[in-house]
Amino acid sequence: METARTGQIFEDIIETIREPLLILDQDLRVVTVSRSFYEVFKVKPEETVGQLIYDLGNKQWDIPRLRDLLEKILPENDSFDDYEVEHDFTTIGKRTMLLNARQIERRMGKERIILLAIEDITERKKIEDGLEKTHEELKELTTELKRAVQVKSEFLANMSHELRTPLNSIIGFSEVLYDETFGPLKEKQRQYVNNVLTSGTHLLLLINQILDMAKVEAGKMKLVLSSLPMKSLLNEISLLVEDMVGKKKIKMLLEIAEDLPNIEADDLKVKEILYNLISNAVKFTPEGGKIGMRAKKADSEIEIVVWDTGVGIASENTDKIFEGFFRVDTPYSRLTEGTGLGLPLSKKLVELHGGKLSVESEGINRGTSVRFTLPIYIKEGGVI
Amino acid sequence: MKKTVLVVDDNTNNLMLEKDLLDVAGFEVFVAENASIAIVIARKEKPDIIILDVRLPDMRGSEAARILRQDKETRDIPIIFVTASVMPEGREEIEGITNSRFIGKPINTRTFAKEVSQFIS
Repeated sequence: METARTGQIFEDIIETIREPLLILDQDLRVVTVSRSFYEVFKVKPEETVGQLIYDLGNKQWDIPRLRDLLEKILPENDSFDDYEVEHDFTTIGKRTMLLNARQIERRMGKERIILLAIEDITERKKIEDGLEKTHEELKELTTELKRAVQVKSEFLANMSHELRTPLNSIIGFSEVLYDETFGPLKEKQRQYVNNVLTSGTHLLLLINQILDMAKVEAGKMKLVLSSLPMKSLLNEISLLVEDMVGKKKIKMLLEIAEDLPNIEADDLKVKEILYNLISNAVKFTPEGGKIGMRAKKADSEIEIVVWDTGVGIASENTDKIFEGFFRVDTPYSRLTEGTGLGLPLSKKLVELHGGKLSVESEGINRGTSVRFTLPIYIKEGGVI
Repeated sequence: MKKTVLVVDDNTNNLMLEKDLLDVAGFEVFVAENASIAIVIARKEKPDIIILDVRLPDMRGSEAARILRQDKETRDIPIIFVTASVMPEGREEIEGITNSRFIGKPINTRTFAKEVSQFIS
């Protein structure tokens, strides 16, 4: 009577469990199983109860690792957790299972029973393996990427060296010829050699800017910080383009706020940014137009706007101008006048200081404004 | 007395350019296309200054400079390195060589001879 009730309780417990669960007697014959066992492992109840576990499903359960667990490990340990078994079932294919077993001595009588819970972790395993594989692939990709960056950087250093060597001859000899160090030239000869010289110099500027772009992208561009007197620096830059401005009969306006502070920045790079932007303004503005620079303090930054009344930018091109080598053909700019890298490089140099640069234009022939900010103090470690 | 200068470069075009610029400026110019010859000439002629390319066929310019610095005959001759390597990595190797400076390629032909004269004194 007592035994029968205990049996019923067991059955009830087993029925409520979602995981496949088996109860075996001491001869490893199935006493009872949970419903999910039939569902997961596709076996019929009439072929299960009373059978030796190894004989289930046409002897599909004759699994060496299961035999190890039930016949060697369990008799010695009474329990076992998370014992992983992989098996290729003819009916349901390859499965990975996690087995948990308990051996229970019945108080009444000497026989013992075995509780065997089987968790089918095939899907979970698949996901875990997939994740692990993806993780490995990502790691390989990162290594590959780091190597590629290194190779690119070395390539650029070599390229720069290799290009500079012949350029030294091209620029050097044409400069000496143009200066007539070894005797006078005819007008045509002077003109030609000057073309060689300006093209050589243009090529050098291109190489330097490409190299600078690569350095910024590789995170190798370092800022040399000092306190910059912005008021005088802006005046200084405007003087550099005075000749060009005069020749084109362009008007240049400087509006510098009284309270414009000194900023902490890299002198050469700030000059380069300003020169790139103001010389662009001159280049892309027709005769009789206007260009200018406006500078003011804005909270913890200074804001500088370099503007012109020139050719402007079509709305569809406002992103392209930062891609490098993008130039709109205009009647005002010859191809040799710029490298097409001045603006993208300036943006990168501004960002390196922790500032922002943006370009606004109301459209073709309606002028352009380049607005950028530079922090008054560079944040400690805040620079990219 | 004319100032003497030894120019070392394996690129014959660059060698000619630097030689001619210094000739015109009134220097007596010796030339060498590799480091071994340069070291021999330096010991024999004891020039007032040496213009040294960093990348030479038989050794690095920096290595040649260290050899010159070990010899008491050539120890104090000022050296100007001329190199096309403008990346900071390229400059590290010539740091720490006494009485030397660096000029990047392409050289400025209008100021080159003046820079050389100034570094002698």
